[in-house]
Amino acid sequence: MRYNVVVIGGGISGVSIAYFLAEKSVERVVVVESDYLGNGSTFKCAGGIRASFTSREHVVLMKKSIELWGKLAEKYGFPYKRSGYLWLIEKEEDYIKFKRIRNFHNKLGLETRFVDQDFVRDVAPTVDTSRLVTALYDPLAGKASPFKSLHALYLASKKNGVEYRVGERVTKILAGKGAILGVRTSKEEIKSEFVVVAAGAWSKDLLKTVNVDIPIQPVPHHAAITEEYDRAFDPLLVDVSTGAYTVQTSHGHVLMGVEIEEVPGAAPVVRLDFLSKLVKVWSKWLPWLMDSNILRYWVGYYVTSPDHHPILGPIEDVEGLYVATGFSGHGFMMGPVVGEEISEWIINGRPSINETKNLTLSRFKEGRLIHEQAVIG
Amino acid sequence: MGEGVKAYICRCEGVTLSDVDKALEEGFRDIESIKRRLRIGMGPCQGRYCIPLLISYVARRLGVSPEELGYPSVRPPIEPVPAKMFLVVRKNEV
Repeated sequence: MRYNVVVIGGGISGVSIAYFLAEKSVERVVVVESDYLGNGSTFKCAGGIRASFTSREHVVLMKKSIELWGKLAEKYGFPYKRSGYLWLIEKEEDYIKFKRIRNFHNKLGLETRFVDQDFVRDVAPTVDTSRLVTALYDPLAGKASPFKSLHALYLASKKNGVEYRVGERVTKILAGKGAILGVRTSKEEIKSEFVVVAAGAWSKDLLKTVNVDIPIQPVPHHAAITEEYDRAFDPLLVDVSTGAYTVQTSHGHVLMGVEIEEVPGAAPVVRLDFLSKLVKVWSKWLPWLMDSNILRYWVGYYVTSPDHHPILGPIEDVEGLYVATGFSGHGFMMGPVVGEEISEWIINGRPSINETKNLTLSRFKEGRLIHEQAVIG
Repeated sequence: MGEGVKAYICRCEGVTLSDVDKALEEGFRDIESIKRRLRIGMGPCQGRYCIPLLISYVARRLGVSPEELGYPSVRPPIEPVPAKMFLVVRKNEV
């Protein structure tokens, strides 16, 4: 049997691409996942979803993604809330910097705004506001459960005819005369008209098998959670002075992350100094954290591109070959719009949003890198 | 088993054997996926009690050996640790 589309990678990108292809009546779609669904970056992420970025491409695509998140959550009943993002600012100079960012957001139709202590206490009653100068709030942002949303899209797409091969590894992409033939897996050869590489950190080696080089690097990022609590705070919180974040999951756990020095390409190894920095940063805003228990700690990859934007769309040298990776830490939130755009591209030869075309691999060759328009820090 | 009787396999998260059966029917056939589908092993015991039971049950249901299914990744700490403990850690003390 010849497939229409082989999707390599069963994370949020791959499953969402398969889901939207099936929704648009494309038959004979197969997702090949070497380990288990979501085992790459998807199931290690915090589940935050926002459009409040600093490039036009990110803002426009994420706005569409948020619209789709709302529809999908309603249709399939997985936890998703537009509970906002809140940037906690304790230095006057950060206020000035974030004013520029707010202006940029407002210009693109995002209602990001500064809020006072009363507002913060209302949406985040367990935050100590005594050191707060101001806070920036994005009401459109929110959070979803990575496990439940990915599983929901998997079940729905399977019902719509998508085939899943879990535990089967793609070892080589097959192409001839500049066009896709299919893939070879640990079990057999699969013929296909289109191949989509959505394999996160593993995409680079897979694309090498057809002499395509993509500039991505996996950078380890660390996260930990506490035991679960009743409502502690609704928005995802960002500590502006360190870039640390925390989110209370739909299950009640407080999930936290903070950057520590890491070498791109390094193995994801747990480090005690991460937990020490994490607790130090977050107990500043959440004094009760000191007496809570840390339940789990894990390390995942930000699959990072040189301009911190994804590499999306067709690879021009190989007809029928598509890529969706390099999300640089934002792949989960972008999942639905990536599914929508790649499926449109495959079916109609072009994506539905103009800005998506700016994200193809050719931008690196042509020097069209995406520039941040309101640089933070 | 009698009508309306529930057999719990994970007490922390309240997961029953019929939940496991349903996950298997949905196509979740490996321990990592079943764990995330049902939250089995993700409570305070961190899977110490339920995961061996789960592996044994799923192995019998699928007709494979427990070794073939394998044990899911163990995330540190081994048991819940008060956050303030990590503040007294010196930087290079790993």
